[in-house]
Amino acid sequence: MAAIEPMEQFLIHKVVNLPPIPVPGLGAVDLSITNSVLFMLIAAGLLSAFFFAAARRELVPGRLQAVAEMLYGMVDNVLTGGIIGDRGRPFLPIVFTLFLLIAILNLLGLTPGGFTVTSQLAITGTLAVLTFVIVLAVGFARNGLGFFKLFWPAGMHPAMSAFLMVIELISFLIRPFTLALRLFGNMLGGHVVVYIFAAFVVNLALFGLNGFGLNTLGLLGSGLSFAMVLALTALDLVIAIIQAFVWAALTCVYLNEVVNLDHGH
Amino acid sequence: MADPTPAAAASSGGLPQFDLAQWPGQIVWLLIIFGVLYFLFSRVFVPAVAETIDAREDKISGDIGDARRARDAARAELDAAAGELSVARARAQKVAMDAQSEAKAAAAARQAAEEARLAETLAAAEARIAEARAEAMSHVRTIAVETAQAMIHRLTGAEASSAEVERAISEAIPS
Repeated sequence: MAAIEPMEQFLIHKVVNLPPIPVPGLGAVDLSITNSVLFMLIAAGLLSAFFFAAARRELVPGRLQAVAEMLYGMVDNVLTGGIIGDRGRPFLPIVFTLFLLIAILNLLGLTPGGFTVTSQLAITGTLAVLTFVIVLAVGFARNGLGFFKLFWPAGMHPAMSAFLMVIELISFLIRPFTLALRLFGNMLGGHVVVYIFAAFVVNLALFGLNGFGLNTLGLLGSGLSFAMVLALTALDLVIAIIQAFVWAALTCVYLNEVVNLDHGH
Repeated sequence: MADPTPAAAASSGGLPQFDLAQWPGQIVWLLIIFGVLYFLFSRVFVPAVAETIDAREDKISGDIGDARRARDAARAELDAAAGELSVARARAQKVAMDAQSEAKAAAAARQAAEEARLAETLAAAEARIAEARAEAMSHVRTIAVETAQAMIHRLTGAEASSAEVERAISEAIPS
């Protein structure tokens, strides 16, 4: 029987050893290339290579350029343009980068032998804090101290507003955690379930090959598990894209609140 | 399969993701990579794609405007040609009608001239006839005088002078 260790796939190990480097504020940090860092580099490399090849300025786009323009158009029309509106254009690059990086990291995790960088809480947490900080910075830059109007529900008794302000504040401050845990949980769960069914495929097949009679049922279970692995992998492909889209969409929703604060929402 | 690193312990105990020793490296690398990607996207890729799309839309709307202008010009020319055609048609019709009426007038004039000539001839002929008749009538008296003289001579044997006979005839036949 092969050992079932569903968490082994999330282990980080070094690929290239580098000496620790002092980082201001953090002290000496081991910046060795781990499998996590390696796949981040692969994702960044793939994205850059694709866009260096695709971001041409042809009037009649080729295939790659058409794909790049389609992605851009989707973010422009649905996310920044659709959610934030006319003031959304300046935020297109950050939303675009977040969406593409998360999507490609999710998808790389589904490749055979791939490491799922977005199943690392350190990564989703950092991206969530980054998103939160950007929203805060934009909020204060655009509105100054008027930013705090975001938490003050207008048009009701001050006592009621004060009570609701506490709830608004909590729901605002909890955002980085929900962002980080949503992506982390989706990636973790998806990969664990696929791993477990994949382990069933092997272990039930081994059990089935052990003898006749009851053991033969093991082969049937193995086949069923294989079908499940296929179905779950397809589902995970969809989730990989959807979660990246959800992140980008939520970023736009949060930005919309602070960008169009004076417009009411 | 088991790794002799501290992370291996996490695999048996809990999630490897909670091994905080692995966090700083990942966070720093992520920030570096994200920063580079954001720089590339905000400065290179997104402007290139956006400008290309804008340029294409400008080109398309410009071309559509050109085509619309060309269509309008063609339509105006068509209208002008139709106007010219109708003017020319009217002129041709007028020319044809003028020619027709001219020919009619000429024919009428010719006819009138012919009729005048005929009337003249007729009048001349009538005059001739009247003259001839008058002349014939004047001979009739002479013949009557001579006949009467001859008859007097044969019946009486006397000679009657023509003046006498003439007077007698004039009394008998008032001319």
